Amino acid sequence: MYRKQVRRRRAVLALLIVGSFVLLSLTYGQGSRGFQRSVSTIFSPVQSVADRALKPARDLVDWFDKTFDARGENDRLKSQLVKAREQAVAGEEALQENEQLRKLLDLNRSPALVYTAYEPVTGRVIARSPTVWRSTVTIDVGSGDGVEVDDPVISGDGLIGRIASAGPGSSQVMLLTDHASAISAKVVPVGVQGVIKPEIGNPEDLILDFIDSTKEVHGGQTVVTAGWRAQGLASHFPPGLPLGEVTKASIVEQEANEQVDVRPFADLRNLDLVQVLTGGSRR
Amino acid sequence: MILTPKIVARIAALGFAGVLLQLSFFSQVELLHVSPDLLPALVVCLGLLGGSLTGAVSGFSIGLFVDCLLVESLGISSLVLMGTGYLAGLFRERADFHGSLVPALLCMGLTLLAELGYAAIQLLLGVDAPVSTLIVRDMLLKSAYAFFLGWPTYLVVRRVLRPALVDVPRVQRQRQPTVLGA
Repeated sequence: MYRKQVRRRRAVLALLIVGSFVLLSLTYGQGSRGFQRSVSTIFSPVQSVADRALKPARDLVDWFDKTFDARGENDRLKSQLVKAREQAVAGEEALQENEQLRKLLDLNRSPALVYTAYEPVTGRVIARSPTVWRSTVTIDVGSGDGVEVDDPVISGDGLIGRIASAGPGSSQVMLLTDHASAISAKVVPVGVQGVIKPEIGNPEDLILDFIDSTKEVHGGQTVVTAGWRAQGLASHFPPGLPLGEVTKASIVEQEANEQVDVRPFADLRNLDLVQVLTGGSRR
Repeated sequence: MILTPKIVARIAALGFAGVLLQLSFFSQVELLHVSPDLLPALVVCLGLLGGSLTGAVSGFSIGLFVDCLLVESLGISSLVLMGTGYLAGLFRERADFHGSLVPALLCMGLTLLAELGYAAIQLLLGVDAPVSTLIVRDMLLKSAYAFFLGWPTYLVVRRVLRPALVDVPRVQRQRQPTVLGA
């Protein structure tokens, strides 16, 4: 009797292990995931309700966490305020200069206008991946709202990722910190281009890789999407979307590894309302 | 554990509630920059109370459900959580440790093992980005949180599955003896 039980237990375990490997082999790296999308679509209303119901509890925990962080944050904000004042003065000058440049340039051919072709769709984050290896969130807007795969997703602070899959009522957003994320970016005003990649496990740090080491990048400089377009191909992201600011830019690292560290503008750990820029692939 | 359709439904409801709570609450809050992970603790408690087979099947199903909801590659979470549940069940069947801290400590240890397992599978499958050493902090803190989540989770799971547990004595109200002439 006991032997029979042991045999049955081993058989079930072997079946589950084989099942896991079969599922993994069939679905790893596949773009089309009809079954998962169907399950996700069925349960997205429940997730949405659970998300709203649990928001006060989440806010309470966030409040405790932020209180811990507040002391360190205060010093950083003070130094940022000084910097922001300097930038505000510089910004006034830049605005005047910009007005003059607008008259000179034909804005119809400017990439900045391409951005206006996108239609923003606002969504709320209803679920988040529990592991740092997969940095994805689920939002409550989907293909029924015009959302398509690869549409850029932004928060109030800048780009946060792109749509990885879209169901009728919900979509999965692959964040900048997901290991499969890679976005062409450039440092302004120097114009150094590279690819923004994440450092897994550290959501406050991105890496601008493959940069041109002949040009020097300094800490505090802003990184935006490059939004390239060549020979009928185009980036999924419009140019000029803010990504982050350069934090560490040692000359040694730039020359040896051709990379610098970037802190994302958007707080990728506390996302609530986001906007999907739809229509980009159809323009 | 005596598995009846009613008990299976209760386990499924526990798994469903646990997954919803994880994705909608625990994954979206952070303490010291790390989100707690309830699911390994839940699977450990199911394995600890139901045995290795219940733990393995529950872990597999919960992992599959999470991957479906997040539209991710199927199989990774299933494999990790199945192993976690199986080991917890094996502990119940083989080890002879009893104590109030056992569920919490087991949740902590097996959550760390689950995190290591997940990392190993991801690295085997290939990761396209550099890995920060902060991942170690993430793993350690997650297992520390599992210690605190383990005990309440164990109590809830035990309460829900009480009718099926053979080794939990039924609490009976004892009548006070009547004193004659009082």
